[in-house]
Amino acid sequence: MADGILFERAGVPAVPIITSSFELSARAMAKNHGFPGYEYAIVPHPVASVSAAQLRALAHEVAPRIIEILGVEQ
Amino acid sequence: MSTVRDDTSPARRDPAGDPLAGGPFADDAPDAAARARRAIEHCYAQGWTDGLPVVPCDEELLGEFLATTDRPADEVILGMAHLNRACTVRLAAINAAMAGCEPAYFPVVLAALDSLVAEGYVTRAIWQSTTGTAPCLLVNGPVRARIGLNSRGNVFGSGFRANATIGRAIRLVGINAFGIRPHELDQATQGTPAKYTCAIAENEEDSPWPPFHVEHGFAPTDSTVTAFTSRSVLHVEARHTTEPEQLLRDLADSVARTGALIHATTSACLVLSPEHAQLLGRAGWSRTDIREFVHEEAVNSRSDLRRVGKSSVSRETRWRLPDDHPDAVADDAGDLIGALAVPESLQIVVAGAPNAGVSAIIETFGPRGPTPAVTRVEATAG
Repeated sequence: MADGILFERAGVPAVPIITSSFELSARAMAKNHGFPGYEYAIVPHPVASVSAAQLRALAHEVAPRIIEILGVEQ
Repeated sequence: MSTVRDDTSPARRDPAGDPLAGGPFADDAPDAAARARRAIEHCYAQGWTDGLPVVPCDEELLGEFLATTDRPADEVILGMAHLNRACTVRLAAINAAMAGCEPAYFPVVLAALDSLVAEGYVTRAIWQSTTGTAPCLLVNGPVRARIGLNSRGNVFGSGFRANATIGRAIRLVGINAFGIRPHELDQATQGTPAKYTCAIAENEEDSPWPPFHVEHGFAPTDSTVTAFTSRSVLHVEARHTTEPEQLLRDLADSVARTGALIHATTSACLVLSPEHAQLLGRAGWSRTDIREFVHEEAVNSRSDLRRVGKSSVSRETRWRLPDDHPDAVADDAGDLIGALAVPESLQIVVAGAPNAGVSAIIETFGPRGPTPAVTRVEATAG
């Protein structure tokens, strides 16, 4: 989250991707950096132990949400 | 100003052990206990505690803490850029007071924070990690006796104000100066009991070797704090042998346990009881001898690691992985895989009562190398 916020403040569009288990800490981090409304994408937990195929499926699943947060017109 | 009760205090004299009988508030205003309770509850309501009551800190108490150091109150002692927050000497003093420290402990708290910065993990977000580490603090030198730090029986346990509150001060700094609270920025999956406090002193008097800080280049008259970011404190009960090699192999097996092998190698701090240390010392073993022996003996076979899915390492992170993981590469070792990268990945300390063959292994974070973060306690400590 901190990286995403710092990128945004440096003028580089960024969307953090977190797993569902980290929502509380993601919100706390955004608040800490004075950006409580900062948007991020959420994928189901866990990621660390999934197979390559499952990871690819997660990426496909979350991609539209990332594009939406970035405000890309389709 | 000391707030420690001496042996003639009413609470100590009361034969029934009832603190209310002629108790601590007897000579104060009738509502003193109620006011103290309101202040303590206020601190709870603000989220300023680790779950235990804190000592309410006012400007007067803060002043007593700041008077023990030459460092300016606004000096940043620990910064966390990723949190956009910093801990100054003043914030550290407030949290040390709230933790229940005496002002005389404060130079030790400052040295502990300096040591954590020198060790390096604290500024890289380790206090927020799911791993759930806690700092273990080791204190050496004359300051131990001066402030009543326990180095003997129950050294990891309860019962000693300096040990209890110096370790706790570090936790309160995390909570209050940085906002690292559980279920918020503290993402620990389980944490460790050491998150309440973990501060020990070396039992230099019952050790067959020079003190830990002297081994690392300090004078015996220096006082130091060494912080170890730690996963756990592992208990090893070994009353069964007087053979140095058998004892050290027993300890080495615990150092090498597969659960501790998250990365290619691990690190540890042996906290030898005086009985174990003296057994080794009498047989002529130096700290260096012990390190080299344990380094050689703390091994797992390839098949042992394969059984638990840790016989390869990740190409990038060097975390241990099963052989068939897409990121897996060989770990460049043979059939016996050492758990310690170098002998210096093992530190050796003596602590506890000289009454039994019970030692401990602090499972320290990271692979580590030759130089622990031994940090001098400011001389104004007295």
